[in-house]
Amino acid sequence: MDLKDIRKRIDFLDSKILRILNDRMELALMAKKLKTNVEDSDREKALLDRIRQNSPGLINSEFIEKVYTEIIKESKNLQMGDFSLIGFKGEHGAYDEIASREWDKDLISIPCAGYSQVFEGVRTGLHDYGIVAVENTLGGIVGEVNELLVNTDLYVVGAVELPISLCLLVLSGADHREIRTIYSSSQALAQCTNFLSRNNLEAVQYYDSAGAAKMLAEEMPQGAAVIASKLAAEIYDLHVIKEDMDNFGNNVTRFLVLSKEENKEEGDKCSIVFSTEHRAGTLFNALEVFARKNINLTRIGSIRSSMGDYTFFLDFIGSNRDENVIAALRDVEAVTVNFRFMGCYKERKVG
Amino acid sequence: MKNLRLTALNGGPPRRTVIRVGEVTIGEGFTVIAGPCSVESEAQTLETARAVKEAGAHMLRGGAFKPRSSPYSFQGLGIKGLQILEKAKKETCLPVVTEVLDPRDVSWVCEYVDVLQIGTRNMQNYSLLKEVGKTDKPVLLKRGMYSTLEEWLNCAEYILAEGNPNVILCERGIRSFDTYTRNTLDLSVVPAVKEVSHLPIFVDPSHGTGKLTLIEPMSLAARAAGADGIMVEVHCNPAEALCDGDQSLSPAMFASMMVKLTHLDICMKEIEGM
Repeated sequence: MDLKDIRKRIDFLDSKILRILNDRMELALMAKKLKTNVEDSDREKALLDRIRQNSPGLINSEFIEKVYTEIIKESKNLQMGDFSLIGFKGEHGAYDEIASREWDKDLISIPCAGYSQVFEGVRTGLHDYGIVAVENTLGGIVGEVNELLVNTDLYVVGAVELPISLCLLVLSGADHREIRTIYSSSQALAQCTNFLSRNNLEAVQYYDSAGAAKMLAEEMPQGAAVIASKLAAEIYDLHVIKEDMDNFGNNVTRFLVLSKEENKEEGDKCSIVFSTEHRAGTLFNALEVFARKNINLTRIGSIRSSMGDYTFFLDFIGSNRDENVIAALRDVEAVTVNFRFMGCYKERKVG
Repeated sequence: MKNLRLTALNGGPPRRTVIRVGEVTIGEGFTVIAGPCSVESEAQTLETARAVKEAGAHMLRGGAFKPRSSPYSFQGLGIKGLQILEKAKKETCLPVVTEVLDPRDVSWVCEYVDVLQIGTRNMQNYSLLKEVGKTDKPVLLKRGMYSTLEEWLNCAEYILAEGNPNVILCERGIRSFDTYTRNTLDLSVVPAVKEVSHLPIFVDPSHGTGKLTLIEPMSLAARAAGADGIMVEVHCNPAEALCDGDQSLSPAMFASMMVKLTHLDICMKEIEGM
């Protein structure tokens, strides 16, 4: 290792320390959602004792105590602030996080391991909001999310349509000629099959595209690249060498924002779920209400609960404050079973 | 010329190869490819691309991988250069031609540009020719600086034999004893190619002469000789070019040349119809 290599390693560790500190601050904000007091001197004392005892090698206890006193101070500062949290699936840099920023850039986005954790986070109050992908122009509906939506009592309070630009990311200084393996989410890999086969590259599935970017930055596997967002490239200090890699273009994902509370502001779109009895014409009867009231449906989705039994999702244009919509909802509820109004909200189209 | 199974006219009725690149049709009408020798920066490439588009160029050229006589000269920006070319294409809608040097880069270069160029030094690099022959991108094949017409056509044959029918030949000057010009531009090869092959033929007067003052007269002469197009180097600021600065036209010189070429093209169409 020469001086340049050593400095590169130091830069790498510094960016990792920053990311880990950010993770710690996020946890502090989440902890605040579950406790009323910011001050907890017993917990602070226990934490400092443990760190003093466990400080390795070159880290002397006086130094680490100073560092941690500052970290705790900043955590408490943040806990006293008025932050709202939004959970998303994946690691920082995921497209879901980009969508959450587009919906409200002042929210603190918190990574979750999966969609059910996003729902759970909102339900338990750990997060104020959650954002989930419901459908994609190339991949179709996201089955797991739609199933969770049928069974939740959370409200839809917003929606975002986000164009997805899939980018090829490499470690800085990597030689493109050595790339053999591409890591990403199964959805992103499926959308780039033409690129992968033209260049004879091996696709390896990863739980999340941004998670693959994080892995590339931290483990630096030989001959590897990832497909992820530009935001992931910024966060993990990777280089974008190709943009818009998908097979067909026009790659757009629609996300819904969930909350425990119903949206109180005026919206322009509504979502409902319902089932129908197993008799001829019952679904027609529900849809007929919208046709007669001249209400435009924007999405009809169906999820099978058991063989032959379906739950339907309907999105339509209109506000639940319009007389026409109020009457339609009343009529639909009368001809369906398990009817639930999921919310009225504003839909944001990006780009 | 007996082994030229795919590139020769073979005595039949003259069917000329016509190559569509986006909105441009090569082999029908006169096509002008212009741009910097190398992609040096995003600003320089975009500025030059806008200028050549404004003056009426049909396609953009620019080198990302540069074959330089000295290993210590600027070697090009590589993938970064390809990304800049892609951006210039997005903005100007001009299709892009760039040189590929290494068989390992062929599939990557295809991801960013519209036409692959094989440079004079690589004309007989058969493994590279086979590799570009396997792609679906048109190939602009420069004439080797010491090569006969037959050797050149045999190299085009390599590309066609791999299944890629879209080859554009490009005369760029050959070595002679004269040192006044960088090379000797062999314009007589233009009608000669038309006699023996159906492939479109371009002329590169920038490398062919290496002299700023000779580029315009040789471009006009190329059109008069029946070439399907020219490829010229234009730099938004030739004095600061990292490569071939003294043979790069300024945008103003290029624009004035384009006016004359347009006039000549009208006259020549009349003459060719006689």
